[in-house]
Amino acid sequence: MDKLAPLLNIFSVGILISTFSLVASKRIMSYIKAFRIQSLILAAVAAIFSIYYLVEENRLEGIFIIFLLTVVFKVIYIPSMLKRISVRVEYKVEKDFFINIPISIIICCGLVILTWYVVSKIPELNNGYNGSFMVQSVSVILIGLFFMISRKKAIGQIIGFLVLENGTFLTAILLTSGMPMIVEFGIFFDLLTAVLIMGIFVFRINETFEHIDLNKLRNLRG
Amino acid sequence: MLNRFIDLVLQIVLVLLVAPLVNGIIRKIKSTIQHRKGAPVLQLYFDLIKLFKKNMVISQHSSWIFIAAPYIYFITVITAFIFVPVVPQLFSFGFIGDAILVVYLLALGRFFLTLSGLDTGSTFGGMGSSREMMISSLIEPSLIITIFTLGLSSKAGSTAFQAIYEGNAKLGIGVISPIYLLLLAAMFIIIIAETARIPVDDPSTHLELTMVHEAMILEYSGRYLALMEYGASLKQLILITITANVFLPFGNSVIPELGLVFPILIYLAKVIVITVIIAIIEINTVKLRLFSVPNLAALAFILALLGFMSGFVFGR
Repeated sequence: MDKLAPLLNIFSVGILISTFSLVASKRIMSYIKAFRIQSLILAAVAAIFSIYYLVEENRLEGIFIIFLLTVVFKVIYIPSMLKRISVRVEYKVEKDFFINIPISIIICCGLVILTWYVVSKIPELNNGYNGSFMVQSVSVILIGLFFMISRKKAIGQIIGFLVLENGTFLTAILLTSGMPMIVEFGIFFDLLTAVLIMGIFVFRINETFEHIDLNKLRNLRG
Repeated sequence: MLNRFIDLVLQIVLVLLVAPLVNGIIRKIKSTIQHRKGAPVLQLYFDLIKLFKKNMVISQHSSWIFIAAPYIYFITVITAFIFVPVVPQLFSFGFIGDAILVVYLLALGRFFLTLSGLDTGSTFGGMGSSREMMISSLIEPSLIITIFTLGLSSKAGSTAFQAIYEGNAKLGIGVISPIYLLLLAAMFIIIIAETARIPVDDPSTHLELTMVHEAMILEYSGRYLALMEYGASLKQLILITITANVFLPFGNSVIPELGLVFPILIYLAKVIVITVIIAIIEINTVKLRLFSVPNLAALAFILALLGFMSGFVFGR
């Protein structure tokens, strides 16, 4: 497994870079593109593990199915669904933010440093194999969370949720080198239903209020 | 001494010949992907030759800065190229000047470029100059951090490009690591911002409201315009050379048996690889609003900073 460490390190850095480029953009189409690239790298990580199991131990692990699911849903289905939604609600660019983009990028850098600080305090994670890419994968979770709270519009928040989930997935895969199938399926279908429901919500919000600014949902409308 | 002088002349001649080619390749790739025939790859050479022959129109309200600026811009870029060896065989004054000198020689040229934009008193020139200064002040920190990190991480302990190349050549395949990946991402944003490419500035249009670089050189014609265009393409080649030789360090170590021609061919191949990537980025992005450029600059800065940290803070 140690042989894989440099390769996984590079891929997790790729996911971190795509997350930062997501935070720096404000067009829905670039959100979706960045998310798609991120999921593609995540699928590559899963593929590396499944190839490793196939070559070294000559068995096809459940992680191969996870690789297929990631490609089908996260790379192809969810982005195209989000694209459809964004076309329907006619909403292209995020215009107002709680925190403007340069400052939110700096805050995300702070989150990476925070993660590094926390990870470096856990002795079990500093054994050479885990420590290096734990920082990257855990900070993707935090940045996804931050992205969710910093965007006002529903699609941005859905993307934040998906990034957060990608981060958890990456962390889990890297730490356990393949979770039990049932857990993975659980997470996956949870995510899928969540995204479907949120997508329908966006339509309904858009129909009722003529916009998808979640900040304005506080006002009552009879 | 004479030998070194010949090497130096050879390097300058080489970059003078290669620089317009980069623009030609980018334009050709763009037009091919957009299903146009496009200008020939050598178009910028023809343009430059034609411009050198043409007469000049100089505004009577302009001062000596307007006349001096093209020469200063061109000469600073050429001088900067002395410290950026294209192939390790060719001599460079590595011990006199290093990457920081290169960055600030380019900054000096840029300073005179912006002054010349302001000099004629045209509104576009002033607008272009103020925008150029804004972009350069935003992008300079990331360039400096990137260069310092390269100097530290190549085990060279020096910011001279010769030393960085040699250190990276020793790393070999180890260049594909988190530090270099983050720095490469930052470096591409820096190249795009410094060379006025599409997310930041549009090099192909003269649309008044969006232009930055073109607005500054709007008043120039004839030989001066040729010097400005040539200087801009040389500056682009400097940044591409740095990226190519640092992040693709194959053929960076001096092997005397190979002679000089083979390393130059490797260098050209590396430059073309980087050029193609830049062209693909340029096709796939849209021009940003000017007030969105700080977002891109912040991204470059943070990526460079994370590159530094992943090498020297996180690893410890």
